[in-house]
Amino acid sequence: MTPLRFERLHEDEWAELAARLEAMRRRKDQATLLEGSQPSAERITALYRRTCEHLALARERAYPTYLIARLEQLTEEAHQTIYYQRVFGLGALRRMITDGFPRAVRRDAAYVGVAAAVFVIPTLVLGLIVYWSPELILSMMSADRAADFDQMYSPAARAIGRARTADTDWVMFGFYIRNNISVAFQCFAGGLFAGVGTLFFLAYNGAIGGAVAGYLTERGMASTFFSFVATHSAFELTAIVLSGGAGLKIGHALLAPGRRTRRAALVAATEESAIIIYGVTVLLLIAAAIEAFWSSAGWLPAAIKYTVAAVCWTAVIGYLVIQGRRAG
Amino acid sequence: MTGEVLDTIVATETPEGIVLELRPAGLSARFYAFLLDLALRGVALNFMAIPLGLMGGMGIGILLIVAFLLEWLYPVAFELTRSGATPGKRVFRLKVVMDNGLPVTPAASLARNLLRTADFLPLLYGFGIVSMLLRRDGKRLGDLAAGTMVVHEHAMAARLTIGDVAPLPPSTPLRPQDQAAVIALATRASTLTAERLDELAALAASVSGDKGRQGPDVTRRVLGVAQWLLGHRA
Repeated sequence: MTPLRFERLHEDEWAELAARLEAMRRRKDQATLLEGSQPSAERITALYRRTCEHLALARERAYPTYLIARLEQLTEEAHQTIYYQRVFGLGALRRMITDGFPRAVRRDAAYVGVAAAVFVIPTLVLGLIVYWSPELILSMMSADRAADFDQMYSPAARAIGRARTADTDWVMFGFYIRNNISVAFQCFAGGLFAGVGTLFFLAYNGAIGGAVAGYLTERGMASTFFSFVATHSAFELTAIVLSGGAGLKIGHALLAPGRRTRRAALVAATEESAIIIYGVTVLLLIAAAIEAFWSSAGWLPAAIKYTVAAVCWTAVIGYLVIQGRRAG
Repeated sequence: MTGEVLDTIVATETPEGIVLELRPAGLSARFYAFLLDLALRGVALNFMAIPLGLMGGMGIGILLIVAFLLEWLYPVAFELTRSGATPGKRVFRLKVVMDNGLPVTPAASLARNLLRTADFLPLLYGFGIVSMLLRRDGKRLGDLAAGTMVVHEHAMAARLTIGDVAPLPPSTPLRPQDQAAVIALATRASTLTAERLDELAALAASVSGDKGRQGPDVTRRVLGVAQWLLGHRA
């Protein structure tokens, strides 16, 4: 069969497939394929399979390149459209919250445990060291920063945790979101360097936090500082440790890929970690909101703050440990 | 084909048993797309800064949140649309796909964009650039981990334009690959100078029984054979 005859014979089908694909793209959704009109979906997949046959024939018969290129483009577009997955939506989000996220955390409990240790141990060690000899804070940060912390957590401050009291809650909300989520994402991305980056970011952030806590406690500001951090840290520190756990998981996949290739192990570990990162992002948004609007309120009695903090810690840990254990 | 050795084409097979050819995008194309996206984000942020700045503290807070969203979620949101590309990539006709040519999934898109942090190190996307330059498929670290690839979109193929040449049956039966070569020559005819076309046609002159001769007449006859092979009859 000559190329021209071949083209003339099947031209109608190709044009119809192209037109249907175009119509779907313009409607911006998958209605025709997923739920919508069944005949239309069957027609489009049938046309796609026909065109695939035509492409195989055209290649086998060494038809002119313009013809093969046209069929390649058509099949590729159809392939992209037909296999397009719409996996996000309210249902998927609900399943993630009720089951997916806590289950993923428990599945990776070993990594999370290591990440927690790498984060908490430097926090405690540096906290105690700086508490005993507060001048050591100056080897971790400049005198100006230390003075900033002094001012931020001074019991006289109208709003706690801020260098400039003129900043409003909203400004700090925006600031915390950017800052904290960036820290968490760094802990995750550091996993790509065989986990070393993750270990560094976890230990570094833990050490800084511990040093500041030790310093302020020694200066007699323990009450303002701990009542400030207690509530939102339930979400923030958990999120940082979880993203560190996800980072360690991909780092471990690179170091010890098992029976897969290193690359396949990395891709699988990253895919599995994605759900933890979704959850971490949500936790950090909650943390930023609490930190900006609740923790900073200087007029609230410390007792109330500690009570709320205890409830939050119990809720977060309980959620991660218990939620979604029953088969759903 | 020997030409494939130099190509960076990645072939993936679909469930329908055909091979899709993906053309990975290199550093330069992705760099331009990145610059354009950066500029777009900058403009969007500055544009919003004017009304939000007038709103005082709350406005600044919202502005910081917008900056955060633009920084991390701008690429994810656009990659999950049907075009699979940020506006910058769309201008340069690039898109993000999975390794097997399927549209990028939400998890993969999020992963490749968060892992940007690793690509950015030690400074100015150093690791990402090294990875893109070293790999045939032009992946940065985030692409490696997420199992994604940035590819060129298909360009429209040029139609065959040899027009008014009279069809001529080949002097001997031709094997399929020889037929393809003659037709390929005809496809390129309009992009070659007349002299070069004559030289190339002389190499194929045996198809029209003119072996060993060269010139515009021979070229016309060879193109005539191509015309005949395509299916045109006098």
